[in-house]
Amino acid sequence: MKTRPRIGLYLLVALSVVISFLPIVWLILTSMKTTAGIYAWPPQYIPSPFTLENYIKILRDSPELLLYVLNSFIVGVGCTAVTLGIGGLAGYALSRLRLKYAAALMVAILAVSMFPPVSLLPSLFQNFLEAGLLNTYQGLILAHTGLFLPFAVWMLASYFATLPTEIEEAAKMDGMGTLRIFLTVVIPLSWPGFVATGLIVFIFSWNEFPLALVLMSQNAMRTAPVGISLYPGEYAFPWETISTATVIAIVPILIITAIFQKQIVGGLTAGAVK
Amino acid sequence: MKLASALDRRRHLTGYAFVTPTILVIVAILVYPVIQSVVLSFGQSSIDGSTGYTFVGLKHYASLMENERFWNALTVTLIFTVLTIPLELALGIGLALILNEHFKGKGLARLAVLFPWALPTALNTLMWRWMYNADFGLFNAVALQTGIADKPINWLGDPTLAMLSMVIVAVWKTSSFMALIILAGLQSIPKDLYEAGRMDGMTRWQEFREITLPLLKGPILVALVIRSMDALRTFELPYNLTDGGPVTATESLSLYAYKVIFDFIDFNFGAAVVVIQFLVIFALSLVYILALRPKD
Amino acid sequence: MATVTLTNIEKKYGAVRAVEHFDLEVNDGEFLVLLGPSGCGKSTTLRMIAGLESITAGDLLIGGKRMNEVEPKDRGVAMVFQSYALYPHKTVFDNMATALKLQRVPKDEIKRRVGEAATLLSLTELLDRKPAALSGGQRQRVAIGRAIVRTPEVFLFDEPLSNLDAKLRVRMRMELQELHRRLGVTSVYVTHDQVEAMTLADRIVVMDSGRIAQVGTPRDVYERPATEFVAGFIGSPAMNFIPLRREGSAWKAEDGTIAFDTLPFDTTGCDRVILGIRPEHIEIGAASETAANAYPARVRLAELHGADALLDLTVGCVQMLARVGGADHPTEGTELSMVIPPRLMHAFDPATGKALPQG
Ligand SMILES: Nc1ncnc2c1ncn2[C@@H]1O[C@H](COP(=O)(O)OP(=O)(O)OP(=O)(O)O)[C@@H](O)[C@H]1O
Ligand SMILES: [Mg+2]
Repeated sequence: MKTRPRIGLYLLVALSVVISFLPIVWLILTSMKTTAGIYAWPPQYIPSPFTLENYIKILRDSPELLLYVLNSFIVGVGCTAVTLGIGGLAGYALSRLRLKYAAALMVAILAVSMFPPVSLLPSLFQNFLEAGLLNTYQGLILAHTGLFLPFAVWMLASYFATLPTEIEEAAKMDGMGTLRIFLTVVIPLSWPGFVATGLIVFIFSWNEFPLALVLMSQNAMRTAPVGISLYPGEYAFPWETISTATVIAIVPILIITAIFQKQIVGGLTAGAVK
Repeated sequence: MKLASALDRRRHLTGYAFVTPTILVIVAILVYPVIQSVVLSFGQSSIDGSTGYTFVGLKHYASLMENERFWNALTVTLIFTVLTIPLELALGIGLALILNEHFKGKGLARLAVLFPWALPTALNTLMWRWMYNADFGLFNAVALQTGIADKPINWLGDPTLAMLSMVIVAVWKTSSFMALIILAGLQSIPKDLYEAGRMDGMTRWQEFREITLPLLKGPILVALVIRSMDALRTFELPYNLTDGGPVTATESLSLYAYKVIFDFIDFNFGAAVVVIQFLVIFALSLVYILALRPKD
Repeated sequence: MATVTLTNIEKKYGAVRAVEHFDLEVNDGEFLVLLGPSGCGKSTTLRMIAGLESITAGDLLIGGKRMNEVEPKDRGVAMVFQSYALYPHKTVFDNMATALKLQRVPKDEIKRRVGEAATLLSLTELLDRKPAALSGGQRQRVAIGRAIVRTPEVFLFDEPLSNLDAKLRVRMRMELQELHRRLGVTSVYVTHDQVEAMTLADRIVVMDSGRIAQVGTPRDVYERPATEFVAGFIGSPAMNFIPLRREGSAWKAEDGTIAFDTLPFDTTGCDRVILGIRPEHIEIGAASETAANAYPARVRLAELHGADALLDLTVGCVQMLARVGGADHPTEGTELSMVIPPRLMHAFDPATGKALPQG
């Protein structure tokens, strides 16, 4: 039975891997070329000479590119923490406390998650302006939290639904209140769910573009995707700097996905299969 | 209905207390702004829309209907959606079937599939824009050196090519998402179904048609709808790849709305664009909810 | 220790009535078993006593105090769950001590009480382990220990032994018996295992679709089942039922193969009865047997179960199950006679399912 040709399979796998990595690899190669190498003809497929000069230059001359990454990090961590905190409570209540309107609320939350971010922009911009939240970390953290809460609530609720109810009931018999049960029993039991949800929310926040573009308009407050996209200014596009900055901005995400591949895939696909 | 038992009442009280912060944030960030956009779209106010509101009824919608650039944006968005989704679906199913096989290096392959999804679209787009670059890009370098083309191809400068280039970036990024969802669906199909199929003498193709595809309907539907909604609101892809150009050949609804609001600084008119876009997506999300609704 | 009184208790889930018209008095120190088929409302009843489910209507009294609206922790009850429900991230000691810590019992008092319970259940060696490092039986003992340290007025058990393998179940059953004898705490115990019910219970409550079918001692429910349902549910294999019709003064089965001149029951007003006889009460004789109530039968199937054997008998068009000694049991195809001893018969009114009184 096992005699079907595997070569075809391996070729297909190799092709998919190459296509997936091609832009990233090309980007990394670009970032290691000299400016002359980048614009050379015939083109340099392999940098010659290899140089880390672009990285050094960024560290020395363009600290704002690093600042963007830091901003993304602050917003991502803040948004993830708040989302897991309040989304965890809500998901727990909706999946476990047998609320009368739980099903209706879940559907409503799902429905609002489909609002296109751009449709929020006119009024979010005005409201944030009035509230003094433009160009603040709290502001974008709040906006991202709102954007990704629906996903987190759904994902955590479906994770809680897989836990046996009896341990929580035993805790209730032991005399714990609902909040204490959530904090001391449910969270320790469901941390894989929190990890998966948190990673995905972090990635979402790191990658989010339109709100970050509008709500963080000051150069010093920009997140990495926005800052790098807007970096070059009007005409000339300094690819040696852009490619290097992009590599720096995606490395954290590459590392996170590589390490937590299983959790992320599991979390992303959990809802769709049920 | 009033809850008869104090036990139930206390449980509900706690429950709704737990839900309240989430509801507040969602209302502040998602629900209220959308309502506000609707209000803005029916009125005229100061340039940033913050003061002096007067109701003007359907005025903005009426001028939208006559606005060629709006119709162009709507058309571009729909064409983009209709081109990307089937491609993504076909590639997604193919990738999922490959990843469902057993082979060495499967972990790496799966990671390779996950990366394009995990990276920011804005930066993905920059990477592709660099490869598409007419003078120094990888594609033209290869095309010229191998003799496929005798002069540089203007990937992003020609209206048709620009749309295709944009579709390719989208498909590259999101086929992986499709693949992962379909793969999870594949892995939830019980193995003994295939064994039963083999006992019945099914060929591989029959197995796929008779067992795999029917059981994948649910996951495929979910992936399709999620992705279509993403495609209908695509923003940073044209923003970073072509800025909607050449001229407006790749200007999506989101990008057009953004420009109306923040470049032309017309919040009221922009709100009308946004509301129309919202309605298109809302119609689709209804399908989504109906499809996802628990069966009982 | 306390009595538990349920008066006209009802539980509705939306339109579904899980439990209704439930009246029961559990005596002080009694071991009461709720027995019934899956879905009949046993757990729901127990959980209403625990406070994990609200009570739709009726009154629940524990130790004379109305408890309907009282939080579980303030009811003086402790519960042992089917899946043990131990905190996986806490040690055995902390699992047992949690309730006491929450009650702000002083540290050394906690140590003492957990220590005592651990000694009682031979858990002393295991106090520092996490549940994952325990066997099923040990986990069950920890779950019981967690209930004991609280010195509750009432113990509640929801199928505590059903996750254990057969051998361990027998041993734990005996340990529970022993424990109850020592502590004498009022206990309500849910199971669908008859043997557990029979061996542990002072009294058994047999439930049928949300209602009480019969309350009585194990002997009562076995020897004097109040309804056809109880008769069929208690005993294994189940009681044989033969529908009989009155013909003149006699009672006959469908095809007349089985017939009685008189029945020892008060049958006034009945045209039909359902006769019940337990497989273990059927006697087997030689084919030539001529005693009253002896019927010619043929062994359709014979199954040896070790000490005894089950015979599937064909009597006319009636199929009957009989349990006989395993040694030299009749083989398939044997013609024999089947004797139904009148004093071991039961009879039920087909309309109501109620047992007919001896007459
Ligand atoms: N949350 C609920 N919503 C609706 N119906 C329920 C709910 N919980 C229980 N029921 C119904 O109430 C009835 C009694 O359930 P219960 O769990 O008490 O049965 P049980 O006798 O313990 O059965 P088992 O032996 O299977 O544990 C069942 O028909 C069940 O379907
Ligand atoms: Mg039960």
